Amino acid sequence: MSKVVGIDLGTTNSLVAYVRDGVPVVIRDKSGDGLVPSVVSSAPDGTMFVGREAQRRLLTDANRTVYSVKRFMGKGLDDVRDEARLLPFRVAGEAGGVVRIGLGDREFTPPEISALILRELKHRAEEHFAAQGEFDPEVDRAVITVPAYFNDAQRTATRDAGRIAGLEVLRIINEPTAASLAYGLDKRHTGVIAVYDLGGGTFDISILRVEDGVFQVLATNGDTHLGGDDIDMLLVEKVLLDVESEHPSYVVSGFGRTPTSEQIQEVRKAVIQAKWDLSDHEETQLLGKRITRAEFEELIRPIVDRTLRPCLQALGDAQLDASQIDEVVLVGGSTRIPLVRRLVAELFGKAPHSELNPDEVVALGAAIQADILITGNREMLLLDVTPLSLGIETMGGVTSKIILRNSTIPATGSEMFTTGVDNQTAVDIHVLQGERELVADNRSLARFKLRGIPPMPAGMPRVQVQFQIDANGILSVTASELRTNIQQTIEVKPSYGLTDQQVEQMLLDSFEHAEADFAARLLIDAKNEAESVVNATEKTFRSPDFPEVARVELAAGEQKRIEQALTGLKHVMLSSDRDAILQWTKVLNDATQHLAEIMMNRSVKEALTGKNIERL
Amino acid sequence: MDVHFCPQCTKILTLGRQGDYFAFIGVPRRLNLDLADLEQRFRQLSRQFHPDFFYNASPSERLASLERSSYLNDAYRTLKQPISRIAYLLELEGMWTTADKGDGNASKQVPPALLEEVFALNEELDEVRLLRESGAPVEQWRPRLQRAAQPIEAKRAEHEAQLQTLSARWDALQPDATDDARKAVLNALRERMLERNYINNLLGTIERELSA
Repeated sequence: MSKVVGIDLGTTNSLVAYVRDGVPVVIRDKSGDGLVPSVVSSAPDGTMFVGREAQRRLLTDANRTVYSVKRFMGKGLDDVRDEARLLPFRVAGEAGGVVRIGLGDREFTPPEISALILRELKHRAEEHFAAQGEFDPEVDRAVITVPAYFNDAQRTATRDAGRIAGLEVLRIINEPTAASLAYGLDKRHTGVIAVYDLGGGTFDISILRVEDGVFQVLATNGDTHLGGDDIDMLLVEKVLLDVESEHPSYVVSGFGRTPTSEQIQEVRKAVIQAKWDLSDHEETQLLGKRITRAEFEELIRPIVDRTLRPCLQALGDAQLDASQIDEVVLVGGSTRIPLVRRLVAELFGKAPHSELNPDEVVALGAAIQADILITGNREMLLLDVTPLSLGIETMGGVTSKIILRNSTIPATGSEMFTTGVDNQTAVDIHVLQGERELVADNRSLARFKLRGIPPMPAGMPRVQVQFQIDANGILSVTASELRTNIQQTIEVKPSYGLTDQQVEQMLLDSFEHAEADFAARLLIDAKNEAESVVNATEKTFRSPDFPEVARVELAAGEQKRIEQALTGLKHVMLSSDRDAILQWTKVLNDATQHLAEIMMNRSVKEALTGKNIERL
Repeated sequence: MDVHFCPQCTKILTLGRQGDYFAFIGVPRRLNLDLADLEQRFRQLSRQFHPDFFYNASPSERLASLERSSYLNDAYRTLKQPISRIAYLLELEGMWTTADKGDGNASKQVPPALLEEVFALNEELDEVRLLRESGAPVEQWRPRLQRAAQPIEAKRAEHEAQLQTLSARWDALQPDATDDARKAVLNALRERMLERNYINNLLGTIERELSA
């Protein structure tokens, strides 16, 4: 039976975990490291690096290295133009289309980059299971987490990434909810929990009621563009500005006016280190200059303050005030910052929990959910909500909401429409996500046309638009004309998303690449093997004993057969024909077997003789 | 109480087209519900239907689970709040059409009981707009708008009290109550609900003017 895992596909780091004997555990590498940096780098020859090695390459090949790709998932080029400014990699794509990221001479969509990270995690898990002696170590199914505040396009992009990586995505679940599952394990909680999740790129707040093992999300809110990355960028910008204004105290590797991408990455690395240091120390050095925790906190305060409004909004939606929260749980690496802890404690009036490693707790929860899905274990149940309202465009560019935010999923909703013009035979349906009244202010998810309505006077047709959100939080829309029963179902393919065909093609490409990689490795193995046989034979030919051996001990024509086999093998070794190489290797091996035995015997005799002489 | 699983084969059943939220969850068709009981039933049924527990089931069972738990979630959400509960009851009794909901045409006609307030408010709004267009400072017109909202907010509070009284009357109706008696309560509920929608729209208008 193949394996299932839970994956936290993070902005900065990703992790994979699974349930072993009822307990979720993170899969680590040999040095005990559970984190795979969400970084992908491409060498000029096309080799892809993922994780630590890719992260190291940020300092040497920044322009061929991608990080924080999660921020681009489900986005259009217009959404990310500003942000691309400080990033070393090339962000491209056509206006109104999906973002593309340039790596060397190739371009990738964000789901393809994420798929490379997922494949690395899959590979890590498979190695782990193989090392455990599992009969079938293959990992082909996973639960993948996303920020609770991810919209439909971002969720779909994540699911696509899983498919491209060759994983069946059992379920997309929300990070804070996953974390609450992991926390709910050791204690039988009953009460209201707030999960405050400040990660590398996203912020989520979820309020849950836990009772009888049912984890029911009451409300969620957040900002998919707020996290540790913003703190890093702010500090990098500050350092660069200081350098520009020629503060002599900031000496950064001899910058000119425009620093190279590698130099920016060097600053970024220093800034991140200083940020970490200041979680444990009152002051530290940043590129040769002292920085105190107080200075740091003053700088980042506006960023941390941005998490407060979503918290209040979520409390309001849950119809609770802060004092009614029984427990507060911290998730995400950025919650290690003392200022964040202080503000959260102030807001909720109680000290937050942080018993579990905030980097690992989401992956652990994903593993638990994967286990629930596979085993049908009914001890715990997650009831999550849709973070944003869903609706369609109506007359005057106004959004009519069909499913309200914070509705428990799965959920449905429907609305009736009619035509505005006599004999109108088609109706445009424009699907939107967001809280604003005007269409222009909300996220456009998809547009489609219901056709084939028989000509009728305006206002006569009865067009029903039915929304269904599944347990992944992903929407599908059906439109039907009730008088004639014309029906159309569409899986909402986000405007900035990939079509099914594109995902299929990427999956095939990745298989082909995987196969090509595998074939290349096999070919190299075969060539190595062939080379060692060739070398051994030629060495024998050169040996001083060989002329005598050939004359006395070899059969007639035996040397010629060996020489022919040798020439044949050396010839096919120039090709990439693995089968031919293997065949000729065998031919040469067989031809030299007798010779090898003779030479072996002679050397044994010599050795014995030598020893005997020594003894004498 | 609805039958959710096949009595013979214990498989989850496809959702029928008839039936209603009250019967589905297994509570009486009343307007005052025991919320703790409602919540408990919701959790119990969630444990029975949720797609998490049907991952390895046949496609038809998976679909049935998706439909049934969607319906359960929609039912719980509707019955949890008193106002949506009343609207749903009216809909079930055939007295609440799509047009009555939110921004349909029915809510654009001024309910007779509100004529006086609406007239006064519209006058005030016109004056405020004129003031604003003539460049008057915020302090001059903002308090007027806030004052104008007060009688309307009072009306809303009054309506909530009336809706509670009517809800209690509906619940007190005996099973053998005549159709006329039922219709009378439902009609009164419908009137109050339409007025309430209208009031909410008025308050929304004031809110927009204030933030303009």
